[in-house]
Amino acid sequence: MDPDILVRGLTAGSLYALVAVSFNILYRPTNVFNFAQGELVMLGAMLFAAGKSTVGLPWPLALLATLAAVGTLGLAEEFIAVAPILARSKTGTGWVITTLAISLIVSNLVGWIWGPDPILVKPPAPLSLDTFEFAGLRLNSYVIALAALTIALVALIERAYRTLQGKAVLAVAEDREAALLRGINPARLSRWSFFLGGAFAGLTGILAAPILYASTSMGPALLLKGFAAAAVGSIGNNRGALIAGYLIGITEAVGASLLSPGYQEAVVFLVVLTVLLMRPQGLFGLATTRTV
Amino acid sequence: MAASRATTLAPLITQTAFVAVACVFPLFVGSNSYALYVATQLGVYIIAAIGLNLLAGYAGQVSLGHAAFVAIGAYATALLMVDHAWSFWAASLVSMALATGLGMLSALPSFRLSTWYFAFITLAFALVFEKMIVEWRWLTKGFAGVIGVPAPRIFGYEFGPKILYLLVFASAVVAFLIVRNIVQSRFGRAFVAVRDAPAAALAVGASPQSMKMLAFVIAAAMAGAAGSLFAVQKTVVTPDDFTADFSIFFVLTVVLGGLGTLWGPVIGAFVFFLIPEFLSSLQSWRMLIYGCLLLVLMLFAPHGLAGALRQAWRRYAQTQKTPAAARTDTPVEHVAVAGLALEITGLQKRFGGVAALDDVEFIAPAGSCSAIVGPNGSGKTTLLNVSGGYYLADAGSVRIGGVETNGMSAQRIAALGIGRTFQTPRLLNELAVIENVMLGAYRRERAGFASTALRLPGARAETRRMRAEALDHLEFVGVADHAEDPAGEVPHGQQRLIEIARALMGGARLIMLDEPAAGLSMTELDRLDQLLVRIRKLGATIVIVEHHLDLVASIASFVTVLDRGKILASGSPADVFKDERVLQAYMGDRALRSGA
Repeated sequence: MDPDILVRGLTAGSLYALVAVSFNILYRPTNVFNFAQGELVMLGAMLFAAGKSTVGLPWPLALLATLAAVGTLGLAEEFIAVAPILARSKTGTGWVITTLAISLIVSNLVGWIWGPDPILVKPPAPLSLDTFEFAGLRLNSYVIALAALTIALVALIERAYRTLQGKAVLAVAEDREAALLRGINPARLSRWSFFLGGAFAGLTGILAAPILYASTSMGPALLLKGFAAAAVGSIGNNRGALIAGYLIGITEAVGASLLSPGYQEAVVFLVVLTVLLMRPQGLFGLATTRTV
Repeated sequence: MAASRATTLAPLITQTAFVAVACVFPLFVGSNSYALYVATQLGVYIIAAIGLNLLAGYAGQVSLGHAAFVAIGAYATALLMVDHAWSFWAASLVSMALATGLGMLSALPSFRLSTWYFAFITLAFALVFEKMIVEWRWLTKGFAGVIGVPAPRIFGYEFGPKILYLLVFASAVVAFLIVRNIVQSRFGRAFVAVRDAPAAALAVGASPQSMKMLAFVIAAAMAGAAGSLFAVQKTVVTPDDFTADFSIFFVLTVVLGGLGTLWGPVIGAFVFFLIPEFLSSLQSWRMLIYGCLLLVLMLFAPHGLAGALRQAWRRYAQTQKTPAAARTDTPVEHVAVAGLALEITGLQKRFGGVAALDDVEFIAPAGSCSAIVGPNGSGKTTLLNVSGGYYLADAGSVRIGGVETNGMSAQRIAALGIGRTFQTPRLLNELAVIENVMLGAYRRERAGFASTALRLPGARAETRRMRAEALDHLEFVGVADHAEDPAGEVPHGQQRLIEIARALMGGARLIMLDEPAAGLSMTELDRLDQLLVRIRKLGATIVIVEHHLDLVASIASFVTVLDRGKILASGSPADVFKDERVLQAYMGDRALRSGA
């Protein structure tokens, strides 16, 4: 088998893991799985591309502006589409439809502003997409940096959950009312998580742009593969998401090379179904039992 | 009286008039007219939307890939008729089976999980299916699609456009009636229970997994049938017909018309389908408009147009309502039941590092009333949850009526004759009080799915019997005057009594009550006291978790005190409440002094 497949799988896997982690950041305190997450990633890529090439901002500035903008959009989404639904019913899943609606609105507005043509984004200065040969693999410095950054980000986020604020998020995820009685404000944590989850999605878009190009069509595919990584790696488990992201990236690349590129989605879908059928809680989670 | 008859008749007349107009519609338009074509297409969409509404609106499972199930039906019919010269009728049956089968294969894992997994998996299924239509060119003919699908025939007679319209119309009516019959039956109540209060579904013995599956099978079969009609109506089936947008269209149709309302999908399809015909200049803005509509509707009108109409109508009808006839206060005589004994030995349950139950022994002889008391967090509710199968015990044995139930699922344990009420009442707030009570009989009703869907005489008679019995139970607990009100609007204390009526309706031989007296007023408390005495006189075993010690002392013959997962004391109320350790651990020193 072509060793390049492994590189392709690892590259895609990094991105899937990042999307899955951005899902988890939102999910932990709210138990909401954001259907607009794919479009937030897309928006991050587009804003960054536009900020860098159209406006001509230096990349650190474009990066910060993008993170702030996508984070704010996440916050707005929580305020408009999620909080009112959760206030009406804790058990309902009306947010499935409202977050889907946000996804439609974002994707169509962005398409209207920037049009369907993909925008080329170059990696920042020392890194490049120029390939070199190493141990039989054709690598480039950007892909290596991406994988390293992904792992570092997951480690950083896992660390953040060990701080007091992070533990408060976990407490809210476990039992919202009990956390409330301990002086934690779940509403505030939900808003923060949507802001941070949005910003993280924006960052994922920025990191994806040099590889996938910034385009309005990148949302749905990343949404589904991010979900696949999150579900296989157990929802809420970031280390699981990291491993599952790479697992899915590589499976997809191998499947596509054995069959045909058209089978990419089908292969991922089959992996998710098989895992969920055998282990509904994902590969790295414990079955939860609390009901009444 | 005349006024109230008019208020019940008016909606019926509107509905009949609508159906009549739709039925004679082809007489007034030409065979090849655009109006007939559009009307036929509308009918096809309505069939799929009716199925989706049952799934998303009643059972709470939002399918975001419904277009794929319609596509399966359309392709199956088109390919079988064009390539293999099958008759439409056989092809259409295969279409329904295929849509259901393929759908089940992919949706199966999601039934055990939170409902949003289902939304994601159907979304992914639609995306994959869209790709596969193009990928499997040898089967589906790729982008060119399947062309020249012939019209259905009966005995050599070929269906013209008008007859085809009537076929679609008749199918839509059948789909509507089937869904109506299901929704108004025990299955419909169980669907709503799975959507709004899964714990209540378990308590009455309805498995959420099977209910979700059942709703999905019906919806997928209807989507398959719609696809089949789609193929013969359009005569061409191409991949472009079944994009992700088309799935969104179905969701929006149902949301616009009103999730969980019978006429919702019909109204939604009408409004939704006809408006774009007028606003074709806004074509490029369509998906943006869909998105905004979905958001606004979910936020401000979760029951859509049908819900808004219903609410307006109720407000109007309310003003003319005649006061309900006064009921007699004589208690109803009920048949005796044989109580089941509950025997628990060596029970262990840990949550992480916390031992919620540590080597607990508990025996409630058949027909007795036993109480479990103890401070908050002492494991009382956990004990009920383990006995009822909501949690799996780590070790020990639970025997109900001599049957080992440890390891059995909650719905199977419920089916043995176990009734259960919850600390916070788990009622279906949108359904009438009497429907909530009838839900209790889920396991007792014998009418099968087919006879329910077709509303055969047996099923109808049973429903009548159950309704009368439910009213009986409501009178028994003293809430009969609220029978027709939505359960969510009934005062809290009475909600607890309704839960007890629901447990009685299930023919419970062992009733487990979790803090039934919490939040009750003094008069309600008296009524509860009398009610429990009467339930015990019927023969049922009562296990009650309660903080209200006067109530416990008055009705229980046996009291067990739990403290941090361990049994502190057990015996008759008089002995236990005199026990020094109990008084100290449970009520504190101050209570000790004031009690002396």
